[in-house]
Amino acid sequence: MMRGSPESDIRVRHRRAVLERALPSRARRAPGIVLGVLADASIVGLLGLSMWLIVRAGEQPPILHLTFAIVGVRALAIGRAAFRYAERLMSHDAALTQLAVLRSSTFAALVPRVPGALEAHRRGEVLAAFVDDVDQLQDEPLRVRQPLVVSAIVTGLSVVVVALISVPAALVLLGALVVGGGIAIALAGRLSGAEDREMSAARAAVVDALLERFAAGEVLAAFGAIDAQRERIAAAERRLATLQLRRARSAGLTAAVLGGAAGLASVLAIAVMLPGLGDGLTAPLFAAAAVVPAAVFEVFAQVPAALAARRSVQASADRVAELTEGALPPELVVDDRVDGRAAELAEEQRESAAIPGAPLLEVHGLSARYPGASQDAISGVDLVVRAGETLVVRGASGAGKSTLALALVRFLESRGEYRLRGVDARSMRADEVREIVGLCEQRPYLFDSDLRQNLKFARDSEQRGTASDDDLWAVLDRVGLADWALERGGLDARLGADGSWISGGQAQRIALARAILADFPVVVLDEPTAGVDRELADRLVVDLLGAVPEDRAVILITHTDLPAGISATLVEL
Amino acid sequence: MKPFDPRLLRYARAARGVLMIGAGLGLLRTCAVLAWSWCLANAITTVALPAMAGIPGVRGRIDEGAYGSSQLTWLMLGALGAVLVRSLAGWGMDVVAARGAVRVKAQLRSAALDALDARSPQRESGPSDAELATSLGRGLDALDGYFSGYIPQLLLTGVATPILILAVLLSDPLSGLIVVVVFPIIPVFMILIGLATQAVQDRQWDQLQRLSSSFLDVVAGLATLRIFGRQRRQVDRIARETDEYRSRTMGVLRVTFLSGFVLDLAGTFSIALVAVTVGTRLVNGEFPLGLGLFVLLLLPETFVPIRQVGSAFHASTEGLAAAARVFEVIESADASRSRASAPIAEERAADAAASEPRSGLAFDDVSVARGGRRVVGPISFAVSPGEMVAMSGPSGAGKSTLIATLLGFVEPIRGRVLAPDRIAWAGQRPGLLHGSIIENVALGAHAPDAALVRRALDAVGLERLDVDVELGVAGAGVSGGQAQRIAVARALYRAWDLECAALVLDEPSSALDAESEAVVCAALRREADAGRAVLVVSHREAVHRAADRVVRIAAALPEPMRAAVDA
Repeated sequence: MMRGSPESDIRVRHRRAVLERALPSRARRAPGIVLGVLADASIVGLLGLSMWLIVRAGEQPPILHLTFAIVGVRALAIGRAAFRYAERLMSHDAALTQLAVLRSSTFAALVPRVPGALEAHRRGEVLAAFVDDVDQLQDEPLRVRQPLVVSAIVTGLSVVVVALISVPAALVLLGALVVGGGIAIALAGRLSGAEDREMSAARAAVVDALLERFAAGEVLAAFGAIDAQRERIAAAERRLATLQLRRARSAGLTAAVLGGAAGLASVLAIAVMLPGLGDGLTAPLFAAAAVVPAAVFEVFAQVPAALAARRSVQASADRVAELTEGALPPELVVDDRVDGRAAELAEEQRESAAIPGAPLLEVHGLSARYPGASQDAISGVDLVVRAGETLVVRGASGAGKSTLALALVRFLESRGEYRLRGVDARSMRADEVREIVGLCEQRPYLFDSDLRQNLKFARDSEQRGTASDDDLWAVLDRVGLADWALERGGLDARLGADGSWISGGQAQRIALARAILADFPVVVLDEPTAGVDRELADRLVVDLLGAVPEDRAVILITHTDLPAGISATLVEL
Repeated sequence: MKPFDPRLLRYARAARGVLMIGAGLGLLRTCAVLAWSWCLANAITTVALPAMAGIPGVRGRIDEGAYGSSQLTWLMLGALGAVLVRSLAGWGMDVVAARGAVRVKAQLRSAALDALDARSPQRESGPSDAELATSLGRGLDALDGYFSGYIPQLLLTGVATPILILAVLLSDPLSGLIVVVVFPIIPVFMILIGLATQAVQDRQWDQLQRLSSSFLDVVAGLATLRIFGRQRRQVDRIARETDEYRSRTMGVLRVTFLSGFVLDLAGTFSIALVAVTVGTRLVNGEFPLGLGLFVLLLLPETFVPIRQVGSAFHASTEGLAAAARVFEVIESADASRSRASAPIAEERAADAAASEPRSGLAFDDVSVARGGRRVVGPISFAVSPGEMVAMSGPSGAGKSTLIATLLGFVEPIRGRVLAPDRIAWAGQRPGLLHGSIIENVALGAHAPDAALVRRALDAVGLERLDVDVELGVAGAGVSGGQAQRIAVARALYRAWDLECAALVLDEPSSALDAESEAVVCAALRREADAGRAVLVVSHREAVHRAADRVVRIAAALPEPMRAAVDA
């Protein structure tokens, strides 16, 4: 690992910012830590005190002298279990409470970066992995900080108490902890972050090879390549196995070293306490100090586990940071910021709101690019749309059709002139632009909820009111989904995760229904017919365009020829 | 949940080895624990006895069986040796368990893949591609926890616990009795708590699942939310739902953690009980000190394995559930294979041999069913060598299903399909794989011919595509149109390489612009002119024009959407 280099500094700063979100406040963490210390101290105390009790009993004092120890042993026995239970509840509650903050702040950090930064990660499992990573951050308070702090306090206290009994025994215990613990931590540390990455890459390679085996199963069968794919799966598997075995050997060795160090500490403690026995050191205390290392090491054993957890939490944090931290690429629009210079220029225009007679949407010499792209995906685009008009933008694949759509709704920054009702769009907040220009995405997202929820959010605000069920039915009828919705069980019909129960054409219609509900003056349809066969596509385009209210403007972006009978202005990209 | 699934032994022979060697090491470790406790207890006794402030004369049995101070060195050395053996045996168990997990996973995976390989690649029902990949991939990784966390402790519980309890019983029947009484409480409580947890989880599981996946849902739909200006409201919604998730989860955890509480309490409380009973008897001089210490040191060890089993319980249910999913795959594949009659390919070859046009394609009164319902047919048509035929029809008319019968993925319920043994084919989905373009185009060829690959790519208008470009998983790295053309090039390569008499393509130009489409059509025309039978499923006008004739398939029975939903 390179320390001190600027990149790694930035990475550490970003990682810290991400982890910060997962940490409950000190006040919320404190009860868990106190209870954890009590629980672990009880283990050490129970072993030491019961040992003391037995040897002291062997000295045959009046039984009354043992009452304190007898009560103490029972109290510690119950305390150990009770404290542990309370500690687990407290620390989990604190971590889960923080999860709400963690998730919502991560989401907020993600908002300005979508689409664009996240677009490349739209593949479902990558997104799912991101969400898993976010949830994984809970381990920072639960499985990293809590055990590290608790075991540090308890082992420290134990060494101090043993020192009060016998300084040499305490030194032996401390030495064993430093040497044994040091070796164990070093062993655990050998499994560096690089190895974690190697491991997860190897894991992913197995899954990918398997996924190909099934997703491309027909191809593999038709080309007689199933055995070759089996060999690829086996190779990926072997690589993962090698890594896993190496890890298991190290992990097992860690436990063995700790167990050995505990035993060694006991035997050595007996040896070093021999000279002082009877000379200030009583037999019961001697026995207690001799057996206590086993319990201390049991507490200490949490440390290597916590360090391993820390590495995987940090890896998660780094992956989360990649998406949520760092400077926003200049190609993305920040919703709340308006271009200062343009804002000044347009100030007067905004006073008088829209310029009468100006086209609804007007674009001249527009160019835009994707974040990280080396060249513009579109340049010099000119478009003019008036209310009630339909404009078709046609372009081959790779001509920047989607980039244009994203630039029009101001997800992507663009250069050139862009006016809405004569007002410079860049002088408006991006949110305001999106109240005028709506987008039906190429792959509209359908939420894992019922049909009602999937439509209603499009019109649910103070200004525009909330859509009633009647409104929803009206709009479904308009996009030709009313019968289908009835058949499916009405507005309560569930759509399945990412609309998995729905065809592409239906998804497009639902997206259009949303756009109609939101009542955008301009609707951009981005390739509504991608993934639909030609005959269906023509019908869908006619239907979609027919469903758009008369006074609204439509910009249809497509790569195919228009079906006959549609009157529209055509622009080639 | 059973602690162990016997099918594991049937499908994964490596599991037996793990159990045998693991049990042996467990036994060794137990002996080491006994030796360690004995040596340490007696070493402490030997050292402590002379220093004890007892009143001489009434000591009773206290120093009974104590070793002389001359033997102290041997006791200490014995203790050290025992520690060493204990640590090494424990390490050995870990390594054996990990090795076992790796082997068992490999065996289960290959058993499942063997079963799946024997089936048609077109699965009508059952788990999706991604679900299968997850079950056989990450899902099986849950067995790591099962084998490394659970099995060793289960073995120790089986091997060590009886021996240790016996040792305690022999040393001190009273302490032994306490253990024998307390011990069964653990499983009983675990079962009771397990039942309670199960009830709570059954009730809340769906809600928990929904609440935990709702975050994924809003993140995935973030772009859509932004279009409608809804992103800010979602922040509140996430916070609200996560808080609901918290309170429900805590409800479950309150019960779940109880099992940990019982395990802890049983262990610690029996230590306290034994310490007190031994202590009171020592006061009266009725018990030897060395034996008392031995029992006290042994007692925690008695409870360690069952406690670990309890805490690894979660790992075990996860691991077994993962294994069970794989067993399902194996068994359902076995079942469907035994239902199918003779291997499809042979039958088809026999058909082909019996018919006179050796090289053309023919459908003779063919009907095909999917999921017990007829989706296409009866239909008859033929493609002669040297002819290019386009097949067209509305979606859902069963065009791809007909193609699947040619490839032998599906058997017709009626009629005969005549096809040559070797068909060069490109499907609707390009089905590209991780690897170079060469590897993709020459898929299935034993020795890829770079020149032929180049020719195939040139033929579909990909002159500028570098054959050494590495594609990502599922062909990531090329555009949709390029992927489609690479798939066509792959079919051409196979046709040339294996002298296939027939070329079959399913929607080869759906993602292409007019120019590229013309190139592909010309390439197909050339193949037909070269004497191959060419069948192309397509709606495109350009393809229809290039073809000698167009076969139109009427829509079969209207296909209600619900069928797919209810499945």
